[in-house]
Amino acid sequence: MDRREAIAAELPRLRRYARALVGEQGDADDLVQECLVRALRRHRQWRRGESPRKWLFAILHNVYVDGVRRRAKRPGHVTLEDAGEALGSRDSLDPAMGIDIERGLRVLSEEQRQTVLLVGLEGLSYAETADILGVPIGTVMSRLARGRERLRQHLQQGLDHRPPLTRIK
Amino acid sequence: MTSGRAVSDIELNAYLDGELGAEERRVIEARLSEDAALAERMAQLRRINEQLRARYDPIVAEPLPASLEAALRRGRAWQRPRPWMQIAAAIVLLMIGGAGGYVLRGAALSEQIESASFVQDAVGAHAVYSVEVRHPVEVAASEEDHLVKWLTKRIGAEIRAPDLGTLDFRLMGGRLLAAEGQPAAQFMYEDKRGRRLTLYVRQADKMENTAFQFAEAGGVSAFYWIDRPLAYAIAAELPREELLAVSRLVYEQLD
Repeated sequence: MDRREAIAAELPRLRRYARALVGEQGDADDLVQECLVRALRRHRQWRRGESPRKWLFAILHNVYVDGVRRRAKRPGHVTLEDAGEALGSRDSLDPAMGIDIERGLRVLSEEQRQTVLLVGLEGLSYAETADILGVPIGTVMSRLARGRERLRQHLQQGLDHRPPLTRIK
Repeated sequence: MTSGRAVSDIELNAYLDGELGAEERRVIEARLSEDAALAERMAQLRRINEQLRARYDPIVAEPLPASLEAALRRGRAWQRPRPWMQIAAAIVLLMIGGAGGYVLRGAALSEQIESASFVQDAVGAHAVYSVEVRHPVEVAASEEDHLVKWLTKRIGAEIRAPDLGTLDFRLMGGRLLAAEGQPAAQFMYEDKRGRRLTLYVRQADKMENTAFQFAEAGGVSAFYWIDRPLAYAIAAELPREELLAVSRLVYEQLD
């Protein structure tokens, strides 16, 4: 398969991850664009026969981190109204759920959000995620556990309208 | 409730993500069947993934925005008209494997690999620059004296541009290239039909003297030889006999 085709095949997933990561479609597509430009420039670095997925996600991660460092921190929040509008145009079964998980993601730290999304949304293995983020596997595991626990509590609050559950250790 | 250590958050997640081995999985499953609170937590963790997918999966099915399509097309424009990586790799394989090509007789494998890599660089440089319309060379033939002096200085051995007029190839000019941190010279010639050939010269380094060696793949042919202290390669999309005639002329000229 032509390299370009293999890269193109990964773009929808990259868009999905970027959207979940930055919370807004326009910014997400800018991020994927920058990633694509970089990947096409460095296409020789990708070894043939390897799936380009891990390589591309690593580039996207680096572009994202560079951008975060470079730019003044912009609020990545999706307001309730924005989310409502965005969701209105989608076939979301339960808009309330959708907003909730988006807000939940914003509650997490950068590192927790990245890890939760790479593993839970993109289905990447712990080893692949560790490579992409440039951290040890142990770090992936603890960020994942902590990120998901926070999300779990956030979603529980939303469902039950109860005060936070005590942590089960 | 059986006695046993508590299942940690990390283990629970690892189980959910399919990262545990068979034995560990069995242990967790046993605990899940006994401990309702644990099972409930597991269900909630699973729901997180399900909600993530429900919220974001639709994006995968969307058509790409115009800006991304455009960037892909632009990437397309940067591509070589032919897949030179495959050609260069094929040449390397030909040379090392000897299948239809020449293998350096008596040479150690490491030397063969260095030669193969040298030819790969020469062919790669040919593929990159011979297709250039506006900037096929960096210094034109009109400044040949300067070009030759410059390349000689950088490469550290006498470099000359051979005269291929008798075969109807005229010098267009040349450039300095880098191959793995080493300087290399490339001269480009063109005939009246617009066919281009390049002469690639570099320090021979550890390579020993050889006679003409030939390699061909994907329509690009190359003859190369080592005449210490320098290594030479001629690359072109020419029939072998023609390229051999050119290579002989180059060799005579540079002798």
